[in-house]
Amino acid sequence: MPERRVTVVAEVGLHARPAATFVRAAAKASMDVTVAKVPGGDPINAKSILQILALDVRQDETIVIKAEGKGADEVLDELAKIAGSP
Amino acid sequence: MTTVLAPVEGAAVGLAAVPDPVFSAGMVGPGTAIDPLREPGKAVAPIAGKIMKLHPHAYVIVGDDGRGVLVHLGIDTVQLKGEGFTLLAAEGDRVLAGQPVVAWDPSVVEAGGRSPVCPVVALDAVAGSVWGVAAGTVHVGDELFRWH
Repeated sequence: MPERRVTVVAEVGLHARPAATFVRAAAKASMDVTVAKVPGGDPINAKSILQILALDVRQDETIVIKAEGKGADEVLDELAKIAGSP
Repeated sequence: MTTVLAPVEGAAVGLAAVPDPVFSAGMVGPGTAIDPLREPGKAVAPIAGKIMKLHPHAYVIVGDDGRGVLVHLGIDTVQLKGEGFTLLAAEGDRVLAGQPVVAWDPSVVEAGGRSPVCPVVALDAVAGSVWGVAAGTVHVGDELFRWH
């Protein structure tokens, strides 16, 4: 399955604006999109702001974003860009 | 249906009045915001459930039906790194609606150059599912909005 590994560099982590922007972009995707902490975290639904806030990704933590299907690479590229933005 | 209570006392002003586009544009979700009284107070749980996330400046309560409500105490208050906030409960605790979660002073937040306005947001709510939003003066524990 296509995936992207990204280290979150924003000081607030994947919260507040980055989290909302990330979920909004994921929600536009036609396929399921998951996020998990690396290493070994359980994947959660990237389209859920509740689950993203629960995942509680902090600055300098790495996540893996996965999606499969037509257009998955574009979706993953966009999400990786958001998650990796300062 | 979930009845969401006012976590702080003040004036319900709507999300559009929040000086942060992530909230005012509804990106986090629907709900409203309270411009709090400028005096020391205790922010309470807006619904009954489990404290899924507890930061000094923000918390999420998830009810038994899986619905989560976010309370954000002031804007850009993550930058305060907890200063001026006292936790009155712990992450993972079960709380009743109206139970105190964080003690804080909106006037101190404001004196530091930040807005103390408090967004109260229904997370993952579908469009049109939030209604009966209060306007004007609300006391702690008053009904703030309903979520179908």
